[in-house]
Amino acid sequence: MNRIERGKMRLRKILTVAVATGALFTALTVAPAQAATEVKMILWPGPEGEAMQKVVDAYNAGQGKKDGVVVKQVLLSRDNTFAKEAALMKAKSSEYDIYFTASYLVGQHAPYLSEIKGVNDKLYLKASIDGLKVNKKQMALPLDTSLHFMYYRTDLVSSLSSAANIAKYKQISKTVLGKELSPNLDAETWNWDDALATAAFFTQKYNPESPTKYGYALPAKNLLYNTMIWNDVLWGLGGNWFTKGKPSINTPAGKAAIDVYRTIYTKELTSPDASQWEYAETNAALTSGNAMMALQWNAAYSELSSTGATSGKVGIAVPPGKGQRTHVHALAVGLNKYSKNQAAAAKWMKHLATVKAMKNYATAGGVPSMPTILNTMVSSNASFANIITYAGKYGYAEAGGPREFDIYAKLAEVLSPAWVGQKTAEEVAGAADAALKSLQK
Amino acid sequence: MRGKSRAAAFLLASPFLLFLSILVIWPTYLGLKTALSRDLLSEFEITPAGLDNFRMVLEQPQFWEALRFTIIFALSVTVLECLLGFALALVFDRKFPGKTFLFSVTLVPIMIAPSLMAVMYRLILNQNIGVVPGFLQKFGIEISIFDERYIFWTLVTLDALQYTSFTFLLIYAALQNMPSEVYESAAIDGASPRQIIARITIPILKPAIAIIAMLRLIDSFRTFDTIYIMTGGGPGTTTQTIGIHIYKTAFITGDFGMASAMSILLVMLLTPFMPFIIRQFRLDVK
Repeated sequence: MNRIERGKMRLRKILTVAVATGALFTALTVAPAQAATEVKMILWPGPEGEAMQKVVDAYNAGQGKKDGVVVKQVLLSRDNTFAKEAALMKAKSSEYDIYFTASYLVGQHAPYLSEIKGVNDKLYLKASIDGLKVNKKQMALPLDTSLHFMYYRTDLVSSLSSAANIAKYKQISKTVLGKELSPNLDAETWNWDDALATAAFFTQKYNPESPTKYGYALPAKNLLYNTMIWNDVLWGLGGNWFTKGKPSINTPAGKAAIDVYRTIYTKELTSPDASQWEYAETNAALTSGNAMMALQWNAAYSELSSTGATSGKVGIAVPPGKGQRTHVHALAVGLNKYSKNQAAAAKWMKHLATVKAMKNYATAGGVPSMPTILNTMVSSNASFANIITYAGKYGYAEAGGPREFDIYAKLAEVLSPAWVGQKTAEEVAGAADAALKSLQK
Repeated sequence: MRGKSRAAAFLLASPFLLFLSILVIWPTYLGLKTALSRDLLSEFEITPAGLDNFRMVLEQPQFWEALRFTIIFALSVTVLECLLGFALALVFDRKFPGKTFLFSVTLVPIMIAPSLMAVMYRLILNQNIGVVPGFLQKFGIEISIFDERYIFWTLVTLDALQYTSFTFLLIYAALQNMPSEVYESAAIDGASPRQIIARITIPILKPAIAIIAMLRLIDSFRTFDTIYIMTGGGPGTTTQTIGIHIYKTAFITGDFGMASAMSILLVMLLTPFMPFIIRQFRLDVK
């Protein structure tokens, strides 16, 4: 046997062993998966998707084997998840078994979702679980609860107690708001005059000694999520989208709420760039030390409490107002009506509704809507205590029905020119009511 | 014989015709069908609507506002990018050290996805954490690039930063086909560089520039991702392109019928440009 033949024989042996190993590996790995039903679930990337992957992995390795279910999470883009879902729903697709939804969207999604039965309401924050009911039917299961906090620099607010600063505060508030006001050191009891006067005090235009360039970080971009934040102002001033079934932005409360944003922008208490700001820019303004306060989502707490100028100095308060309110919504998952794996998907949903699964979710970075879990995790995230209190005491969800998502977008479109001073409250309030009326049809 | 050649032509074209049917004709049919229906995401049933969607679109002020903004934006960026592209092509038409490297660098923006560019702009130009404002602040220059008063020109400039490389590349390619004898003769006759550009280069390149401008005009008419990510069409609808308006109508309002009607109207508005392009290509379309 020459060298070449020996080489050929060796190669043949190696190939035989490789093929046999491959076949054995395939048999071992594929066989169990074929026995289980695959459930495909859509979520969006970011903290929610990452946290959910841990829950999915734990389920697939444990309870999923008993249920005969393997869950596969598919993360679509954060910006366009709902757009892609809309196309899938309209096509009555069965490609995904579980859709990602939210309390502000569930009315629009409801025709394409199956009712979820056997959910224990008592485990959840009332605003979160109720916000996912359509015609009293539970159409989705809550995951994260989102609401707003008034974030402010504690070191700066406490500096307002000195006699010199009190005098300066009175003078600045008179110049900017036309009212002589005294500092209110308890942000939890602020009304909008207190918030605006404090923002003016910490704006260098009015107080060159202010450590922050601007007193406020205003997310004023034409974006539906910014309407949710502005709604806190509207509700806090006693307004509402509808009163007795009729649009009511064109009311004293509605116009006053528009004027709060307009004052912040036109009096330059925020950066001129704020006309294009949303979540990320608002956070950047606070952590860079350029701004002193902002109404912002609870999810920002982790970053604000540990980054830059706000690290260790960020305070949380309820959004200001005469009758303080905070918007509350829940991100959620719903069962696709056209899924071919309804039974398997229901088993996974049943697991997701357990305290054990949501505890895993919270440990991995999620903010589940279960107060018992949030309570046990206050030591790792102090804002969890505020979520429970504020959602219960001040939380509200707009009753926009199937067009709620559309209403948010339309209000952002109609109101944002006034938020940034291009138009007056008077000019846009009527248009906002007309838009709401057209969406009631 | 003629019949055989026709059959062969049909056979050879059939793969293309098949793809055309699947990717263009069928979706166009579905789009038209949707445009003639009341098709809302929040309503399960789809019902015939006749021409209602077209009527509602034509009566909608936002549609005309978006169209107006789109036309102004498209014309502005097209003119600016063609001028800059032409100037760059003239610069690169001569030899200088580092030309190859700079040529490659100039083409980088066009290789980046517009949505990624928009995200980069948002970071780089952010007043609080952006590199550009931070650098300028070191020299005492304060700028608010996203100020609502300047947002239109910010968007035009950012579009030019990305797409000037496209016009530059095509004009440069056209410039390379210019016969050198023409320049030599002009130089012998004592023509100044300005005269050469005005009286020789531009007239010869005119058809190429026209078609490049037309391509940019049509492309910028469809601008969506950059502006959507940067401004969302706002404040209000001041920067809302027709593409953003259609997207919002379909995927936020959930009104697929109206969105389809708008898309069809947009195609009808752009179609008249086609003969112009075909003429510029000097295609014998019979």
